[in-house]
Amino acid sequence: MMLMMFLTGSWALAQDTIKIGVVGPRTGPAAATGKAFEEGIAIALDHINAKGGVLGKKVEVVFEDTGGVPEKAAAAFEKLATRDKVPIVVGESHSSSALAQIEVANRYKVPFIICEAWHDDITKKNYRWVFRAGPVNSGVVDFYIAPFVKENGFKKVAIVRENSDWGVGIADRTETNMKNMGIPFVTLKVEREGKDFYTELTKLKAENPDIILAYIYGTGLHFFVSQANEVGLSPKALILDGAGPPSLWDTFWKNVGKAGELELFMSSMHEKVHLTPTSRKFWEDYKKKFGKDPTDYKTRSIYNVVLVAADAISRAKSTNNEAIVDALEKTNLEVTTGIVKFGLKQGTYEYHQWMPPMLVVQWQDQQQIVVYPKEAATGALKKGK
Amino acid sequence: MSEFLMYLTNGVVMGVINAISAIGVSLIVGIMKVVNFAHGELYIFAGYFSYHLSVSLGLSPLLAMPLSVFFIFLLGILMERTLIRPTYGDEMYSLIITFVLSIVLQNAALLIFGPYPNKPPNLLSGATNIFGLFHYGNQRLLSFGLSICILLSIFYLIKKTWFGKSVRAISQDRGMASLVGVNHLKINMVSFGLGAALAGTAGVLIAPIFPVTPTGSSAISLTAFVVVVLGGMGSLKGCVIGGLVLGILENMGAAYISTMYRHIFGFIILILVLVFRPWGLFGQKA
Repeated sequence: MMLMMFLTGSWALAQDTIKIGVVGPRTGPAAATGKAFEEGIAIALDHINAKGGVLGKKVEVVFEDTGGVPEKAAAAFEKLATRDKVPIVVGESHSSSALAQIEVANRYKVPFIICEAWHDDITKKNYRWVFRAGPVNSGVVDFYIAPFVKENGFKKVAIVRENSDWGVGIADRTETNMKNMGIPFVTLKVEREGKDFYTELTKLKAENPDIILAYIYGTGLHFFVSQANEVGLSPKALILDGAGPPSLWDTFWKNVGKAGELELFMSSMHEKVHLTPTSRKFWEDYKKKFGKDPTDYKTRSIYNVVLVAADAISRAKSTNNEAIVDALEKTNLEVTTGIVKFGLKQGTYEYHQWMPPMLVVQWQDQQQIVVYPKEAATGALKKGK
Repeated sequence: MSEFLMYLTNGVVMGVINAISAIGVSLIVGIMKVVNFAHGELYIFAGYFSYHLSVSLGLSPLLAMPLSVFFIFLLGILMERTLIRPTYGDEMYSLIITFVLSIVLQNAALLIFGPYPNKPPNLLSGATNIFGLFHYGNQRLLSFGLSICILLSIFYLIKKTWFGKSVRAISQDRGMASLVGVNHLKINMVSFGLGAALAGTAGVLIAPIFPVTPTGSSAISLTAFVVVVLGGMGSLKGCVIGGLVLGILENMGAAYISTMYRHIFGFIILILVLVFRPWGLFGQKA
C-alpha cells in the first residue's frame, strides 16, 4: 500500500511539468553552439510558460550534452528517452551526431525535431519519428550557394571541406551543382579540427580561384580566414563560410582581424530582416533578457523548434508519441523564420522537412550586409582585389 | 619551387612551435620521471591569462606575456607541492594524478573562460614577402624567432649553469646527487615549475597565431607526447629534432600526398620509431 502511494505520488509529481529533451554540443569544438542553444531555450520557455505552458502544465527542458561526438550523442538521446522519458526531443547541430541519434529515436519511437544538422540523409531515411525544421545541405546549396556563385559571375570555385558528415555531404552536392552549371572547381579536403592551413592555402593559391566555399565548422574557420589573408589568397578570392555561425561568434573579429573584411557567410538571421512578427518578438525578448543583440542564428533555430514541439504537444492534447507525430505532421505554426509545415511526400529528403529561408551575408566595414537573395539584399556584393 | 620552399618554411616554423610546446614535458619526464598529462591545460591557461591581462585589463602584451608565464610557474610549483610530491617513485600514481588534473583543469577552463576561442593581440600584423617567393605571416615569424631564443636559453640553462648541472645529476642518480649535497626536493619543485612555465611560454607565444580553446588542450598534449617519444624521453636535443621532423613531415605529406591525413604522417613515423628504435631518436637506451 505504501509502495502504491509512493509510486502514484511520484508519478503525480513527475506529471507536474512537461519535459522537452534537448541534445546539442555544450563541450567540444562547437561548445559555442551549446551556449546559443541555452539562450534560445530560455527565451522560448519564458514565452511558452508566460502563456500558461502546455496542457495546463509548465514546460521544462532537459539539455543533454553531446560533445559533438556521435557515440556520446546517441547515449545522450538514449538517456532522455529512457531515464527522463521525455515525450519529444529537439535540437542538434552536428550531422554526424544527428545521424546516430535518429537511429535511437527510431528504436525508442521518440519524436525528434532537428534544427541545425544539415545532412540530407537525416530526413532522407524517412523515419516516421524524425523531423527537421532547419536547413538541409541540398536546399542550402541548390537554392542559395550555387545560384549565388552563378549570378555573381564567379569563374573558378574552390571547395574546401572538413572530413565530417556535414562537410562531405555539402561538398558533394556543391560539386554536382558546379558540374551542372559548367563552372570549373577544385576540391580540397581538410581535417575537422585543423589549425594550420598554410600548406592547403598555398596549394589553393596555385589554382587561382575567385571564390572559396569553406565548409569548415568552428574555430578552424577563424584560422582559415586569417591565414588565407596572410598567404595573400584573400580577399582577391572571396571566402564564403558555408555554415555561418563561426563568422558571427563574438570572437570572430578578434581572431581574424582585418582578414574578416569582405568575408561571406550563410545565415538565417539579420537585424533588418524580420519575416514574421515572431521574429521581432524574439529579437526584443532576447535584448531584454541578455542586454545585447542576438548574433548566433542557432539561438533562433532552437527557439523555433521548442515552439514547434510545444505546439505539437498542445494540439495532440497528450504526450503520447503517436499523437505527437500526427500533430507534427499537421503543423502550421508561425516561427521566427516563416510558417513551419513539414513535407509529407515520402522517398526524398523533403519528407518531414521544412527549411527556413537563408541569406548570404557579407562583412563590409564590420557591418552585416545581405547580398543574396536579391529580394532580401541590403547592399551590393563587394569583390576583392 | 616557391611552393616547395613555402611548405618547407612552414614545416620548420611548425617544427619549432612543436618543440617549444613539448620541451616542458621532456624536461619533467627527464628529471622527475613524471609524465605530466596536464601540460596542454597549462598551455591553454597561459593563453587565456595572456588574453585577459592584455585585453580585459589593458596591460601591454609585452608585459602580459611574461606575467602569464610567471603565474603558470607558480601554478606549477603549487601542483608539485600538493599533488606531485607524494607520487615520487610511483609512476602510475603520478600518471593518474596528472590525468585527472587535466580533466579538472579542462572543465575549469570551460567554466571560467567559456567555450569561445580567444587570442591575445598580435604583436605584429600582416605578412612579409619572403625573397619575393611567398607571403608569410609576421606574427608567425616573430613567434618563431622568440621560440628559438627560448630554446637556446633552455639549452644554456641545462648545460652550463649550476642549476642545470644539479638537474642532470638528479636525473642520472637521485641518491648520489643527494649525497653530494643537491637538495633534490627543491630542484624537483623548481624543475616542475620550470616545465609548467615552458608550457605557459608556448601558450603565450602561440596563442596569437592559434587562438586557445578549453578543449584544445588534449591535442596540444598529444602533439607534445608524440614529439617527446619521437625525440627520446627526456632528451632536449631530441625534442627539437622530434618537433622539426613532425612539422616538416606533416607539411610535406599534406602538400604532396593528402591534406586530409596530415596528422597520420606523424603517427606513421612514431610507430616506425617505436618499432625500430623504441628509445627514440636521441633517447638513452635503457
